[in-house]
Amino acid sequence: MLHVKNLTASIDDKQILKGLDLDVGAGEVHAIMGPNGSGKSTFAHALAGREGYDIEGTVTLDDADLLEMEPEDRAAAGIFMGFQYPVEIPGVNNMYFLRTALNSVRKARGETEIGARDFLKTANEAMALVDMKEDFLNRAVNAGFSGGEKKRNEILQMAVMQPRLAILDETDSGLDIDALRIIAGGVNALRGPERSMIVITHYQRLLDYIKPDFVHVLVDGRIVESGDHTLALHLEDHGYADFVNTDLNDAPERPLTGAPS
Amino acid sequence: MTISSTAPAVGGTDAMADARLGALDRIAELGPPTRRDEAWRYAPHRQLGELTFGPSPESGPSLSVDLDSVVPTLSGPRIVVVNGAVDRDRSKLASIDGIRISTLGDALAERPERVAPHFELGDVDDVFLAANIAFGNDGAVIHIEDNVDLDIPIHIIDVAVPGDSPNGTCTGVVVHVGSQSSATVVETRVGFTDAFGGSNIRTSVTLDADATLEHIVLQDVPTEQIHLSRVDVTQGLNSTFRARSFNLGAAYGRLAYTVHLDGEGAHADLSGLFFGFGDQTLDQQLDITHAAPNCTSRQSYRGVLDDSSTGVFNGGIDVKPGADGTDAEQSNDNLLLSNRAEINTQPRLEILADEVACKHGATVGQLDDTALYYMRSRGIPADEARRLLINGFADQAVDDVGIGAVRDWITHRLGHDDV
Ligand SMILES: Nc1ncnc2c1ncn2[C@@H]1O[C@H](COP(=O)(O)OP(=O)(O)OP(=O)(O)O)[C@@H](O)[C@H]1O
Ligand SMILES: [Mg+2]
Repeated sequence: MLHVKNLTASIDDKQILKGLDLDVGAGEVHAIMGPNGSGKSTFAHALAGREGYDIEGTVTLDDADLLEMEPEDRAAAGIFMGFQYPVEIPGVNNMYFLRTALNSVRKARGETEIGARDFLKTANEAMALVDMKEDFLNRAVNAGFSGGEKKRNEILQMAVMQPRLAILDETDSGLDIDALRIIAGGVNALRGPERSMIVITHYQRLLDYIKPDFVHVLVDGRIVESGDHTLALHLEDHGYADFVNTDLNDAPERPLTGAPS
Repeated sequence: MTISSTAPAVGGTDAMADARLGALDRIAELGPPTRRDEAWRYAPHRQLGELTFGPSPESGPSLSVDLDSVVPTLSGPRIVVVNGAVDRDRSKLASIDGIRISTLGDALAERPERVAPHFELGDVDDVFLAANIAFGNDGAVIHIEDNVDLDIPIHIIDVAVPGDSPNGTCTGVVVHVGSQSSATVVETRVGFTDAFGGSNIRTSVTLDADATLEHIVLQDVPTEQIHLSRVDVTQGLNSTFRARSFNLGAAYGRLAYTVHLDGEGAHADLSGLFFGFGDQTLDQQLDITHAAPNCTSRQSYRGVLDDSSTGVFNGGIDVKPGADGTDAEQSNDNLLLSNRAEINTQPRLEILADEVACKHGATVGQLDDTALYYMRSRGIPADEARRLLINGFADQAVDDVGIGAVRDWITHRLGHDDV
């Protein structure tokens, strides 16, 4: 479904992604872990279409060339990125924003737009999924939301948008223990044979709830190791020391299962 | 600015006739404003020089347009003024218990004492105010007795259809709200034809003790015209004046307010939005004088400026000796949508009393790229995302308006009915 080949991204001659390869099949959940500053968020933004990067390589989603598309067209093609730092938009009503977003992608796909009343039903279902109170819909997008509330709002948006590929960038950071469980439950409920996910996280904890099919280690702009969920457990115990400043070939002997195709 | 006639308007008392003659002299003495006049620094002086004023016609030109389609839909009483003369056919001069709504012409003939302060020349140094005194003898008079709560808004619609000479028109509005009474007045200013010209509207407001007035100005004349608006307010004990202004039309749209807080505990709350495109200059001139103790004043203005438009916010707070316990705040937040757009914002504070709390602040920003990207990543096309962000900024001024029909008119005018 998603094929990333030799992806590089630089800003002002500073190379951040240095030849990243990743293949994600339909219905698969891939976790990406890696040290601070290794390029995880940059990868997520490169997929979502943020401007300002010099990008080389190829990224295709269902055979469409993603890199040629504007962010809104990528959303219409089914990409959804949950931001590590969700953006506050004062003055723009959350409910109106959500409905405009959903109807924009529906319109782009040639589907009929959803009226206010039907949308309310959709929104209420999504809110139940992340256990969010209704008054959040009447507030401005993320404005004054706590860190955890913002993350909830990201998953709410994902539940409304029903993307083909969700990239969740540290959706677990800043969540309390109960919220983590609720959000993970929401994410799991959205798993399906046609929906793929890339889950960026620093913590094994999240992966206890959202069991990934594959785990990748991103170091210095490259994926240096891939494995199944046991790789995350290994990282939890040993950190990234094995992978930082070492050649890939020197990586420790570990059973490599289920490497992505 | 020139005058097309040396014969002033007529009507009212001998004192008014004297004031009009004095006003003509004053026009000659003052001459047009220049760049050195702080209050007129960013005005288009050449265009102001081309304005001519003279006596209003008996009646304005007949309108072939559907006026109701360009003004807010308000069902209450209304007065329609075309080129400085009341159009009685289009007006609805309902009489309600305790409220008298009349034309300025009729008031001058029947009860000139009620509009006397409107024609006092005093030490007027605004040449356009002098022109308004000399030539403006029609318009609207709203007189509200004591202890009346009027919950339907009164609508004053001023229409400018500039002729050749004079190309400027003068309208007078007088509002008096009696003790313990409250009212809402909406002044909508529109115009037709693409000819150059200007409207000069002067509104005088007096509020007795504990009176409340919400006064809304919707300025949307064609961008070929000059619009000069001046609202002079005198407030008594514990009275409340709420001004909401939307400065949208005109080549040069000027909304000036002078508010005198003369009674202890009076409260003035002024807010507004100016939204410029093309070459428009939209000018807000505010002068709040705290002349009594324990009064509060608020000025809160938002500007959105696109293309090569210019915004001006010149906000004065003047705290007189003895006005102890004054609490005054002022803010002006601006959004520049183009690198040719310009905002000139300036607070002027003079504080000569004790225990004064005075806050002011101004911001200038651009559209938040990160917010735009965030919205686009949710599938919202770039243009739509821009529109949402701009409207989100502007709506914070629109939310201050209590009347739904007026809010609808503004949002429709700003092109986002469906929010
Ligand atoms: N706009 C920018 N200008 C310069 N450097 C940038 C910019 N954006 C990102 N970087 C740099 O690129 C590197 C990768 O950043 P990125 O945010 O992708 O890291 P990350 O893996 O998500 O880190 P974290 O785990 O802390 O979220 C960092 O060194 C960062 O400072
Ligand atoms: Mg990151």
